[in-house]
Amino acid sequence: MTGVRLVAGRELRVQATSKGFLIGLVVTALVVMGAIAGPRLLGSPDTYKVGVTGQAGQALKPALAPQASATGVTVKTVPYADEAAARTAVAGGDADAAIVDGPRVLTDGDLDPRLAAVVQGANRTVQSRARLAAAGIDATKVDRALRVAPLATVSVTGDTRYDGARKGIAVIVVIALFMLLMSSAMGVAMGVVEEKSSRIVEILLIAVRPWQLLAGKIAAFGVLGLAQLAVIAAAGLGAAAATGATPDLPPGTAGIILGAAVGYLLGYLFFAAASAALGALVSRQEELSSALSPMTLLMMAVYGVGFWALADPHSTANQVLSMVPPFSSMVMPVRAAATDVPMWQFGVAVAGMLAAAGAVLFLGARVYERAILRTGARVRLLDALRASA
Amino acid sequence: MLRIDGLTKRFGATTALGDVGFAVRPGEMFGFVGANGAGKTTTMRIVMGVLAADAGTVTWRDTPVTAAVRRRFGYMPEERGLYQKMRVADQITYFGRHYGLAPRAARRAADVWIERLELTAHRTDHVQALSLGNQQRVQLAVALAHDPEVLVLDEPFSGLDPIGVDALAGVLAEKRDAGVPIIFSSHQLDLVERLSDSVGIIAAGRIVASGPVDDVRARAAGSLLRVRVRDAAPGWAGRLPGRVVRTLDGGGDLLVAADDDQALLRAAQAEGRLEHFGWERPALSEIFREVVA
Repeated sequence: MTGVRLVAGRELRVQATSKGFLIGLVVTALVVMGAIAGPRLLGSPDTYKVGVTGQAGQALKPALAPQASATGVTVKTVPYADEAAARTAVAGGDADAAIVDGPRVLTDGDLDPRLAAVVQGANRTVQSRARLAAAGIDATKVDRALRVAPLATVSVTGDTRYDGARKGIAVIVVIALFMLLMSSAMGVAMGVVEEKSSRIVEILLIAVRPWQLLAGKIAAFGVLGLAQLAVIAAAGLGAAAATGATPDLPPGTAGIILGAAVGYLLGYLFFAAASAALGALVSRQEELSSALSPMTLLMMAVYGVGFWALADPHSTANQVLSMVPPFSSMVMPVRAAATDVPMWQFGVAVAGMLAAAGAVLFLGARVYERAILRTGARVRLLDALRASA
Repeated sequence: MLRIDGLTKRFGATTALGDVGFAVRPGEMFGFVGANGAGKTTTMRIVMGVLAADAGTVTWRDTPVTAAVRRRFGYMPEERGLYQKMRVADQITYFGRHYGLAPRAARRAADVWIERLELTAHRTDHVQALSLGNQQRVQLAVALAHDPEVLVLDEPFSGLDPIGVDALAGVLAEKRDAGVPIIFSSHQLDLVERLSDSVGIIAAGRIVASGPVDDVRARAAGSLLRVRVRDAAPGWAGRLPGRVVRTLDGGGDLLVAADDDQALLRAAQAEGRLEHFGWERPALSEIFREVVA
């Protein structure tokens, strides 16, 4: 066990202190924070400034605040001496709109739809009250008669309030899983070739068994991947908290993150074992990408299917794919984020992925063990599988 | 005693090693020489368990060398194996840990060898920033850090400048005096002759001569004759019944390998005034050229 720990410890130290890794981590965190905080920061504001002048302005002013609070925004009124002053303020951006005699509303281009609803609603209230009064009808009685509780909404297909947020999280999950799986599997393969091409393995394998070397390497990159996932989750949740978006997060967010972590771990074991075996076949870094191409192609396919599943997570095809390894490693976390998944499907996905990862680990360790000391020409995969050690 | 016995290794149709055997006593420096592809590296890799032999045994202190025993060996592979992006001290410590040293002992060993091999200025440098000669010193420190019982060094002197050679030779002599058997391969035959207590010459996967340097030279003495003929006609060397291994003393003396020494004597006399005719104790390089030719 000391051998495994030493190998993993070295790998962790080297990677965690490498500039490339740290910069990548910071950039990833910033991108996730931007993706979550961006829409809140760039979206329409919650507070409007409305200029008022003349009789129309004075008349509408008291009706603006209740109308605004009903729409879920805040409106501040600013009095102006005359229409010319109000016009200058709107043109200069000091006010979002101004109510002047006519009654008219002055705007700079189009009126923001939410502000339009507030202003028009206030105008309708004031005008209709005036007409009711003119017709001798008690406005307060009419108000009371018109005050009706809204219909209660009941979704028959389940809670859809969070659909948008869940889909957004699912997008982040699939992209993050792909990036992490790719970078950590590549890291394992590059480490394997570095040691093989430089003959470091010849010195190491005198002291440790090949499986120990392989296990240490896979463990280290797995831990790094999980740490990156934790940073992404923390960045996302932090950004949501900072921009006040936390209440918009769906109730099962913790479960979604956990599902992504499990998907990553199982997918990682599968792909890392495959890339270690394929990497062990070659003796030079230049040959690595062609040796890894079966693994890269499969991972791209898994990613493609995962992204495709975003569009319709309920479809039968995606339900099936979310239980078929290695697609399950990405499709299941995506479905878990985008929709509610029955527990038994989770169980099947995890069991299947565990079995697949175990099989690839077993075969991968065999290939690695037999190919790692055979330097020179590229070792054929079938030879390495068949050869009796 | 480190004993190598009957090692045989085939790669497909080619026989890389055929019945290779020799022994290295504690406190003995064994120089392993042979042309490229003769089987030196293959032999060393089998001793270190990097390669499995088809037949033959390697024993140390009369017991077969197992993985556990090899952890007490020190090894320098032919192509240097170091992590390029790891600092010198960390690197030596890391390998020391793998070879069984406790954390503190490994760090101390790294310090000792960094100082002993004059790497103090490069302690915290990445290996890739070091000159080739200094990388070689780090490689040696890695092989020595765990105070090995046996040293197996493949081409330890290649790429070193004369000062580096002296430094390395000094360290190896110290280890030998401490009772460590050392196998090292080299193409620098004068160096092998100067440093080795015994040698093994390998050609095409077979040991053609081995033993203490003096014995090998003495044994070869029965095969080489030094001939000097005053006023010989030009081209006399070509008329002698034997193979001229080398010309000595500016062309006046010939070193000849002959099956029939009496026939060579008569032929030499016929060429002119025979001034010198006698058995020669050849230098290692001459023996090497003779057996490899």
